[in-house]
Amino acid sequence: MTDTNPPSERFLDAIRGALGPGACITDQAGIEPYVTEWRGILRGRCSLVTRPTSTAEVSRILSICNEARVAVTPQGGNTGMVAAALPQGGIVLSTERLNRIRELDSDNAAMVVEAGCVLKDLQDAAGQVGQLLPLSLGAEGSCHIGGNLATNAGGTMTVRFGNARDLVLGLEVVLAGGEVWDGLRTLRKNNTGYDLKHLFIGSEGTLGVITAAALKLFPGLGSTETVLAALNTPDDVLKLFVRLRVQLGDDILGFETFPSLGLKLARKHIPDIRDPFAGDYPQYALVEAFSHRRDPVLRESLNEAFATALDDGLILDAVVAESQAQSDALWRIRESIPEAHAKEGATIRHDVSVPVSKVPQFLTAGKTLVEQRLPGVRVIAFGHIGDGNIHFNLLQPEDMAKDRFLARMPELNRAVHDLVDSLGGSFSAEHGIGMVKREDLARYRPAVELRMMRGIKSLLDPNHIMNPGKLFLPEDLG
Amino acid sequence: MKILVPVKRVIDYNVKVRVRQDGSGVETVNVKMSMNPFDEIAVEEAIRLQEAGRAEEIVAISIGAPQCQETIRTALAMGADRGILVETEQDLEPLGVSKVLRECVDRESPDLVIMGKQAIDDDCNQTAQILAGLLDWPQGAFASTLKFSDGRVDVTREIDGGLETLSLLLPAVISADLRLNEPRYVKLPNIMKAKKKPLDTIPIEELGIDVAPRVSTIKVEEPPARSGGIMVASVEELVDKLKNDAKVI
Ligand SMILES: Cc1cc2nc3c(=O)[nH]c(=O)nc-3n(C[C@H](O)[C@H](O)[C@H](O)COP(=O)(O)OP(=O)(O)OC[C@H]3O[C@@H](n4cnc5c(N)ncnc54)[C@H](O)[C@@H]3O)c2cc1C
Repeated sequence: MTDTNPPSERFLDAIRGALGPGACITDQAGIEPYVTEWRGILRGRCSLVTRPTSTAEVSRILSICNEARVAVTPQGGNTGMVAAALPQGGIVLSTERLNRIRELDSDNAAMVVEAGCVLKDLQDAAGQVGQLLPLSLGAEGSCHIGGNLATNAGGTMTVRFGNARDLVLGLEVVLAGGEVWDGLRTLRKNNTGYDLKHLFIGSEGTLGVITAAALKLFPGLGSTETVLAALNTPDDVLKLFVRLRVQLGDDILGFETFPSLGLKLARKHIPDIRDPFAGDYPQYALVEAFSHRRDPVLRESLNEAFATALDDGLILDAVVAESQAQSDALWRIRESIPEAHAKEGATIRHDVSVPVSKVPQFLTAGKTLVEQRLPGVRVIAFGHIGDGNIHFNLLQPEDMAKDRFLARMPELNRAVHDLVDSLGGSFSAEHGIGMVKREDLARYRPAVELRMMRGIKSLLDPNHIMNPGKLFLPEDLG
Repeated sequence: MKILVPVKRVIDYNVKVRVRQDGSGVETVNVKMSMNPFDEIAVEEAIRLQEAGRAEEIVAISIGAPQCQETIRTALAMGADRGILVETEQDLEPLGVSKVLRECVDRESPDLVIMGKQAIDDDCNQTAQILAGLLDWPQGAFASTLKFSDGRVDVTREIDGGLETLSLLLPAVISADLRLNEPRYVKLPNIMKAKKKPLDTIPIEELGIDVAPRVSTIKVEEPPARSGGIMVASVEELVDKLKNDAKVI
């Protein structure tokens, strides 16, 4: 079985010999950031961090580790939500020095990039040539594209452009034994048997190391408009979404929602957050619309759609950003919500999805369910409602001790996830499994699916060196 | 009281400005445009005065291409009552703008002109002062607080080293600084209402004034790219670099 004990000197020498200078970190202070989780809940452990600079170096590391049966945890920006990048012994393979843009081909609307490129840098590089890489999330200043692909990240443009998976044309992967698979094709069409790249996307580092990716680009954003609408209920938010989708179609770039409490806590805990309205409203919808062209008609059609919604009583009020600064300020409200409620107290988080049409039903039933179990619990349900993806977060009751609240986590998780499951939903919409949701995976995915997954794992990583302790419970892999 | 508020359409504050290939100016094609942020503050102040019952009418005025109507509509949606577009495709300098504004003041007879202290595109910070000079009105530039009493306005302004309060006789010209207020978001119902508010267009030629530029731009170029910094290992090395490489000590 995989060795998670401190590595032997012989092993260390072999790794050092395989890499260029500065690639290895072995002192505890240097290792600390790689075993620390930003959530501050779990801790990892390892005695070596490697920072390869090329695919060939990654290949050498994996072949040595596979030979010695030493566990390898790939790590990108370490911004994940489920402790998937936290090593449980063995070594960390950080992608931070695999950060070149190998090719940016505007005519083919594609870029080939190494796994350790920071998402924001790639967005900027595409923007420089008038193109758009339509993947955007709160962690974009630190997360790596390799991490985004390994977790199949979603974010705020998913409603229009899909998840990270939908942006991939090809991958380069180093397999567990060190063999390099060059699947970096930039083809739009390629029906030649199993589409293997999709196995690695969302695999959370358990099958191999993604070293580079060919990504799709789109024409740049010519115009964007931002509207924040105030509404009565999540049901109305859904109605607004359905209606705008008919009226504006593909012009909708983002569609998010948050409740009154979300805004209140953001104003309480985060500097420079203003209430755009004078009054207090129960629910808000943040809508971003765009056109690839500089398009004065966009603003008109958006205004008209919202004006009709206002006349019909579907929305209670709305503000329209008149400048990029105002647009940024509206988005900052949405983006500061997780941080704001973390500052308010202990939280129990859920990242769930249900069919878009069932979101209101889920929210009503979910709220009743948790309030019955824990009177006084404060529900902050927010997020990517246009994708049916709700961050259904529970904030501790005001008069309850933190640890007594957190002790209820398993029970509350279970109740919420059972509800989601009964609605045909998913207990992890975009954050993945990592160490945090392994029991849920075993519980909610059918036996036949788990069997296929185990089969794939055994085939691609027979010695189980890739990120052990993630996705599967150790006993499930045997 | 009647208030005139000039509003300028500029490249959005958050847009990274690019120089045109041919060096003739900055790229404005396909670039997001917004109201000059200081003008937004001026509009907001005028509206607050109206809401406090001190102003009867607010007239927003812009000078430029037909697209400047959008900027005026924003002012109307914020709460101004009517708009005037003085239409021209020519880029005016502060002197030209001030002359046009003087003409408008003559026609409209406002008691107060509130405008932004400067436009963020050329950063001239001249128009309010020139206008006050042309009109021979008192001026309060860089206002951070306004207090009105019988025919006067006390303007607290930000100056080097502190605050100064001037007491001006109306009519007067005031230019708004950042801290005067925080402009409101525009509400959708008000955008719809703004479409019905009057907006007159006057071709600039009709005013019969000389707005010919006094300055000609020879070339616009990007500032040289900054070269990256270096890390020094010791104080000795730092001193050495400052002395021998940077030659600043
Ligand atoms: C403020 C904030 C907002 C967020 N918002 C969103 C959001 O809207 N939508 C969303 O989906 N997620 C969101 N996330 C979480 C998101 O999953 C991660 O931020 C990101 O996708 C992970 O990238 P990373 O480089 O940090 O990966 P890490 O956390 O370093 O790693 C994540 C997983 O990928 C594996 N991995 C990393 N690189 C590779 C590689 N090259 N090859 C193989 N495996 C690899 C790791 O082993 C681990 O299992 C957010 C996180 C934060 C902190």
